[in-house]
This record gives sequence, C-alpha cells and structure tokens, in this order.
Amino acid sequence: MKKAFLSTGLLLITILILPLFISPFLVYLSTEILVFAIFAMSLGLIMGFGGMPSLGHCALFGLGAYTVAILSEYTANIYLLLGAAILISLCFSIVTGYIAIRNKGVFFLMITLAFTQVLFLITSRMKFWGGNDGYSASVTANFGFGEITSNMGLFYMMGFFFVLSYFLLKLFVNAPAGKVLKGMMENEGRMIALGYNPKTYKMIAYLIAGSMAGLAGGLYIYKTQFVSPALFSVHMGAEVMIMVFIGGLGTVFGPALGAGAFVFLQNYISTMTDRWPLILGLLFIAIVLLKRGGILHLIQFVTTFGLKLFKPSRSRNAPVDKQVKGKEQAS
Amino acid sequence: MEFFIANTVSGLAYAMLLFLMAAGLSIIFGLMKIMNLAHGSFFILAGYVAYTFSRSGMNFWLSMVLAVIVISIFALIIEKLFISRVHGSETDQVLLTVGLVFVLGDLALWIWGGNFLSIPVPAIFDFSLDFAGMTFPAYRLFVIAMGILFAFVLWYFEAKTRVGMIVRAGVDDMEMVSALGFNVKIIFSGVFIFGAALAAFGGVLSGPILGMYPMMEWEILVNSMIVVIIGGLGSWKGAFIASMIVGFVDIFGRIYMPTFAMAFIFILMVAILMVKPTGLFGRVES
Repeated sequence: MKKAFLSTGLLLITILILPLFISPFLVYLSTEILVFAIFAMSLGLIMGFGGMPSLGHCALFGLGAYTVAILSEYTANIYLLLGAAILISLCFSIVTGYIAIRNKGVFFLMITLAFTQVLFLITSRMKFWGGNDGYSASVTANFGFGEITSNMGLFYMMGFFFVLSYFLLKLFVNAPAGKVLKGMMENEGRMIALGYNPKTYKMIAYLIAGSMAGLAGGLYIYKTQFVSPALFSVHMGAEVMIMVFIGGLGTVFGPALGAGAFVFLQNYISTMTDRWPLILGLLFIAIVLLKRGGILHLIQFVTTFGLKLFKPSRSRNAPVDKQVKGKEQAS
Repeated sequence: MEFFIANTVSGLAYAMLLFLMAAGLSIIFGLMKIMNLAHGSFFILAGYVAYTFSRSGMNFWLSMVLAVIVISIFALIIEKLFISRVHGSETDQVLLTVGLVFVLGDLALWIWGGNFLSIPVPAIFDFSLDFAGMTFPAYRLFVIAMGILFAFVLWYFEAKTRVGMIVRAGVDDMEMVSALGFNVKIIFSGVFIFGAALAAFGGVLSGPILGMYPMMEWEILVNSMIVVIIGGLGSWKGAFIASMIVGFVDIFGRIYMPTFAMAFIFILMVAILMVKPTGLFGRVES
C-alpha cells in the first residue's frame, strides 16, 4: 500500500515537470500517449492479472469515444459526458463480461472479438452517425475553472486522469481481490478449492478495465474531436494488445510504457513509410519468438542487477524473480 | 417465393465457403490446441494467387490446383517456422498469428493493390439454369455441390479411415496418441496443411463470388470463428450445420435488416453459448 502511494507520487511529479524538458511537439504527442496509456493499462489488468486475452478491448474504448461525441451535441458538461462514457462502457462490459467470462482463453478472445466486430459493422453502417466516414464532434474540456484549449492544458488534463487510473489500478492489484485474481490466473483449481469463485473476481477486474477503457475513449475525443468505426477495428484491438506486451505483461505500469513506445514509434515510422502494418506485424512475431518480456521487465532486471553490484550483501532480487516467474506463467 | 429460393441458393453457397474455412480452423484447434487467426489470410491469399495465375492465361481449374498447392507449401513453412514454437501458450499464439495476419495482409496490399479483384467464373459454369421460372447461376450451384461433397468426404475420412481415427483420438487426448507411438510432429503438420488447403480451396472458390479486397481476411475469419463457436470446436458436423445457420442468417439479415445483419448471427451465438457453452456439437471443453 505504501509503495502504491510512493509510486503514484513519483509519477505525479514526473507528469508535472515533464513539459519543462520536452519539445512542444512531444507535449502534443504525449497527450495521445497518456490516453493510450490509460487504455493499455486497463487491458493490462485483465490480460496480465486476470489471464483474459482480449482482442476486443477497443470496443469499450470506442464506445466511450462515441458516447462523448454523440452526447456532446446536447451538453458540454465534461463531468456528465465522461460519466456517461464510463457508464455506457460499464453496461456493455456487464453484458459482454457475463457471456465471455464463462469461457476461458481462446474462447474468451473469440467472443470479445465477435462483440467488437458487431459494433464495427453497426457503426460503419449507421448513416445517422456518419457511417464509415466517422463523426466529428467539437468538444472543449471545461472542469469549471476555464476552458482547456492549449496542448499544455490537455497534457495536464490527460496526465491527471492517467495518474488517477494508475493509482486505482495499483490499489486494486495490491488489494486482496487483486491477489485472488492473480492466483486464479496462476492456478485456478487451487483457488476454487480454497473457496473463491473465479467468475466473480474475473468479472470485477473486467468491469474495472471496461470502465477505465471507456474513460480513455471519452478523453480521446477531447484530443482528436473525431470518432470513426476504425476505433472498433481489429487493428485497434491488436495495437493496444501489443502495447501491453511491449511494456511488460503482468505489471501495472508496463502497458503505459508500452503505449508510449508504441505511439512514438508509430508516429516516426508512419512519416517514413506506408508499410506500418507490415512492421507492426513483424514486431508482434519478433516479440513472441524472442520471449524476452517487456520494457519494464528489462528495467527491473537492470536496476536489480545494478543494486546487486553496489550492495552485494543484501539480496534484492527476490521480488523481481517472483515477477519474472509470474510473467512466464502468464505467457 | 422466387426471391426466397434465389437467396437460399446464395446463402447456401456462402455457407459452404464458411464451412471450408471453419472445418480447418476447428480441426486445427481441436487437435493442436492452436488458434490460428491467420486462417483467413490463407483463404484470401489463395484467391489472390489464383487470380494471378488466371491472369497469366491459365484456366480456372489449373490455377485453383496451383493456388492450393502454393498455399499448402506456404502453410507448411509457417507451421515449421512459427506455429510449432508457440504450443501451449495461448497469448503467444494470438500475438503471433495476429502478427502474421498484419504482415500477410500488408504484403497482399503491396503486391495486389487495394482494389476489389475477382476471378472470372470458369467457362463451363458461366451460364444460368432456368428452373420453374427462376434462374440460378450455375457456379453457385457448383459451389454448393462442392461444399456438400467435401462435407461428405470429411465425414468419411473422419469416421471410416485410420487417419481419421488417429485425428479423432488426438482431439480427445493427444498425449495418449503420442504415447502409442504416433509421430505427433507429422500429425500436427499434416493437419495444419490440410486445414490450410481447405481454406485455400474455399478462397479460390469464393474468388468469382465474393472477390478479394483488403481486410477481407478479418471478415471471413470472424464469421468462421462464429461458425466454430456455434458448432463446437473439433467437430466437422457442428461446423457444417453452424455454417448453414450463419450463412442463412447473414444473407437474409442483409436483405431484411442490412444494418443489423451481423447482430442477428451474434445474438444467435450468444443464445447458443448460454445454453451450451461448448457449442452445438463441441467435444472440447471451452
């Protein structure tokens, strides 16, 4: 618990001072990174701690985005809009979760993917909401203390929600419910024998992840002012999945790092070549074949290795070993 | 009534194409416990390859055979290089095969461009049958006949032959089969290639009907996944019946409620899963 507060505090300070050191373009890019970081962390929760691989997590993100875009015609109140985005995503997660969680692994994946595909087809054929061309909405964030229009303002707004999401996730993972969830993933039979009902805990995680993805989707509109059925495409679902893997499966902060690396790479590579999907696909294959874990695993490895060099008497590698083991079992 | 029968024919033709896809998907999962999301890519690549062959002057049948052979060899390479390394890890399988779909889809876009392409209908079937005042495109009837023929061959193969017996045993308990001295690697490769060849065959058959276009692999993959979920993994009978259901619902849904056609199939899938989580004829625990 203490650790959760400490790491959240560190993260908050980093977000606060970051714009002082990076160029305006990077601030602009970082707003997008922060939104995707929230999104990726939410998927990281169900994949890394719940063992539920979902290619359809983007459905919840897209629903949040569509909700804000459509409702912004009627109200400009950001609390209402984001609240509605979270609520709609939550309702959708309740329905899909109830059906999907009865199944495991690949079945779970297929069912979530099918749900997403349905949303994709419906939104792309809804002429009323722009169909395939998408739907433009003009939304301005206003929390009651002036409109946020500058890039810097947006950055801090996303940063606030990012830190908040991180903190909540960290609390959940360290709470007894989070531990039970992880136990389910590692050995479901034993947890059932201990008297826990796996569906309840998986559902809790799924709902948390779902509403968080809805929030990220709602925030996304404030950055792009535009929604399209592409939000529901398999590409989107696969992209967020790769963010989780690049960053580090089985960690809370890893997916956020992965989102950063991914958005950064995508921006630079797409300016150079049109073959981004090809590179993305090769990245997927490389990550699987190399089996090295994500960026966060690397950082953890390097830091413990460094600590070992300086403090040979005190063995500090025990927690990392545990995490690496957890990761191996997860993958 | 005429309208109804004419659409029944196209619904059936679509169902047969889905069946060819789903049969491979289902048996690969049932036996190897591998979810091959790149199965749709085999389908569409076969169409593209056959298109190239037929453009270079070969007739439909020759280009079909060549395309199926090309895709089978390609599938063997994929299986040996990638798939064999990810046994037992679901997330790895998903990532790897999604990566393959992206790579193959982008390569296809690179080579064949983003336009809608279609293979010309073979000359023998380029006519319509007139029956009781209605016209049926002969090619669709041919596709239906091929689907039924393959369903029969697969049934015979599974139920009556020695290889089919090994496959059936493998779906139930692969470890036991290998303990009895059968070479698991060869069985796996064989089944994977066979599944890919079925998909490739379906892909070439669909060339004159559905055509080929970018992102089609996902569309066909999701539909055949739904077929597999409804029919139950590892069951060809289930795949056959489920593909009929999905084919019909899709075609008639498109006519009567175009916006929600997919939603119908989907509600059906959910309803079946609620009643029977393994699918209609599933033997594999989900």
